[in-house]
Amino acid sequence: MFEDIPVDVSPMHEGERIRAANMFVELAGPKSMGAELIQVADDVEDGDLQVVGPELSDMTEGEIYPLGISVKIQGEKLEKELEGVIERRIHELSNYVKGFMHLNQRDQIWCRVSKEAKEAGFKLVDFARALSILLKEDFPLIEKISVTIFTDESEVESFLETAKAAYDYRDSRARELSDEDVDVFYGCTMCQSFAPSHVCVVTPDRTALCGAINWFDCRAAAKMDPEGPIFEIEKGDVLDSTKGEYSNVNTIVAEKSQGETDRVFLHSLFEYPHTSCGCFEAVAFYIPELDGIGIVSRDFRGETPLGIPFSTMAGQCSGGKQVEGFVGLSLEYMRSPKFLQADGAYERIIWLPKEIKESVKEYIPGELYDKIPTEEEAESIKDIKKFLRVNEHPIRERLKQSKESIETEVEPDSDISQLEEDYEIEDNDAPVAYLPQMSVPGSDGVRIILKNAKVYAEKVIIKKEQK
Amino acid sequence: MIIAVSGKGGTGKTLVSSLLIKSLIDKDMDILAIDADPDSNLPEALGIEVDRTVGDIREELKKDTAEGNIPPEVNKWDILDYKIMESIIETPEFDLLVMGRPEGSGCYCAVNNILRKIIERLSSNYDIIVIDTEAGLEHLSRRTTQNVDLMLVVTDPSKRGILTAQRIEELSEDLEITFKKQYLILNRVKTGNEDELLEEVNKIGLEIVGIIHEDELIESYDREGTPLINLPDDSQAFTSILKITEVLKEI
Repeated sequence: MFEDIPVDVSPMHEGERIRAANMFVELAGPKSMGAELIQVADDVEDGDLQVVGPELSDMTEGEIYPLGISVKIQGEKLEKELEGVIERRIHELSNYVKGFMHLNQRDQIWCRVSKEAKEAGFKLVDFARALSILLKEDFPLIEKISVTIFTDESEVESFLETAKAAYDYRDSRARELSDEDVDVFYGCTMCQSFAPSHVCVVTPDRTALCGAINWFDCRAAAKMDPEGPIFEIEKGDVLDSTKGEYSNVNTIVAEKSQGETDRVFLHSLFEYPHTSCGCFEAVAFYIPELDGIGIVSRDFRGETPLGIPFSTMAGQCSGGKQVEGFVGLSLEYMRSPKFLQADGAYERIIWLPKEIKESVKEYIPGELYDKIPTEEEAESIKDIKKFLRVNEHPIRERLKQSKESIETEVEPDSDISQLEEDYEIEDNDAPVAYLPQMSVPGSDGVRIILKNAKVYAEKVIIKKEQK
Repeated sequence: MIIAVSGKGGTGKTLVSSLLIKSLIDKDMDILAIDADPDSNLPEALGIEVDRTVGDIREELKKDTAEGNIPPEVNKWDILDYKIMESIIETPEFDLLVMGRPEGSGCYCAVNNILRKIIERLSSNYDIIVIDTEAGLEHLSRRTTQNVDLMLVVTDPSKRGILTAQRIEELSEDLEITFKKQYLILNRVKTGNEDELLEEVNKIGLEIVGIIHEDELIESYDREGTPLINLPDDSQAFTSILKITEVLKEI
């Protein structure tokens, strides 16, 4: 099949790197420009291979040239949506060609041709031929294929424009990709070395807590390293689309957490919130007095309105524990359209550090933005309450609507009571909390679980532990 | 073949690593030097300036991710792959990869896991890899040196240096990390008291493959910041390293 090509073409050359010392020329890469693009078209001339600009034989050893790889495909069942998926294969398939290095994708490609390949008579048109054969073999949907390689600077420049417009279009589509659009989520157990029962569930609407990997990264990782810590989860039946509960997610989480956790709500911090490893970029925490949610990130140095810093809070809800009222999350998740959707999303947020607030500004509903206090406006729950009242935060409606007038009094563990001074909640006009089940996180301290409890108190006093 | 150079900080790992690279240079072989010591100066010893390390790349990616700058369809494997390749310093004789600063706060599990795979793949393209490891024992417990073929443990005559060398030997045994060969190199040895020293280090139970004597020239190179790789071919330090290269050929 590859007999016309003067170098070997085989998967065994995947991962091949060509050192500067061994290379004939470099194409695209950090010191030049380049792009690759696959487009579904209607008038593809099958087998048409072109090189526009200098061929390898016209190039000077050691030089760097721009590169454009334009692939047009046609097939009865080929849809435009598949372009990105097929394009992703260019990287792997190009590396089958011995003496041809290919890195990355889109307008960030970087290629090199080895001296050895050049000496064997290898040409860019051979690369185009290999690519066309390999792509057709990999995707039987492709009935016709043509490949054009650009090395002429102005041609590459204009090709780059076309390509960038195509990427932008695809990205806007990808940003719209939601949990409903896919059948497979991913699980990650990379953090089990220190949080042995933690399983991260990564979906299009929910990046991993560490913020490091999203659904697309997981898809790549599961493929690159099938035996690795990232694996597919067929999502199964939708049990609750708002809370984000899926039958098979529950099953797999139970299996991978050694039975520790058997129900997970992906988009809520109540009842069965997602467990937290210890890596999370931020923690969302319930503020029962105001029935709202606060968020604090790892980079926030001060104390939260609960009177404890991020580190203490992180200690209470990490380690793979499911702690109702606390959930670790990534900053990217705050840009998700499903961000804590079961709990009221941004309408329920009543405190967050200024830095985060600014970084997610465009995702906070405009009318809410000025109604959410940061550390500059509120340092205590009392401050928050005042700020919410003055600025008419919608959470107040929620408080009013709640008919139950219940307050909970809990004996906190020593960590939570690290208050600088005694803290009093004087108002008894609002129900503090009503939850069918509520637990207080504790590391060394006591864990109290109240089930369907009603606890009335005129005054709640939390004191610093006397040691 | 993967060669790692380990030992207590300041005993001469970088001297050994740089001279080893000098002795291995051969136009038919692809050599990769990896500086895995966040506090090391292998690049300076090799006469190379570094502007971006793996540590920097890790931070850049973290920042780009947090700020939402990465296109949704582009995956981080490819980005890291590219950036690692970009950070490699390529010379006609050898390539150099610098690991750089340790992690900041936050979670690096995912990134480190990806980086490990990428560097493993990258390494498979070279004939010889020389790793200047981080000082101490952590490279063993973190198993970053578990695929190493040849472990060279460097010590000077100091009690602490010898103790670390001994611990490296013991820990690799405890962790069942089996190198094809493990040797000891003595550095900064004063002429005259070799016998006493040899008696001491023989207790470690590692075969000594090289002895580098105290050398005024090395000291002046260190003082003036002259790359150690430029030490003359007939210097005692270099000739003793050349002998090690001979031993390597037998592995």
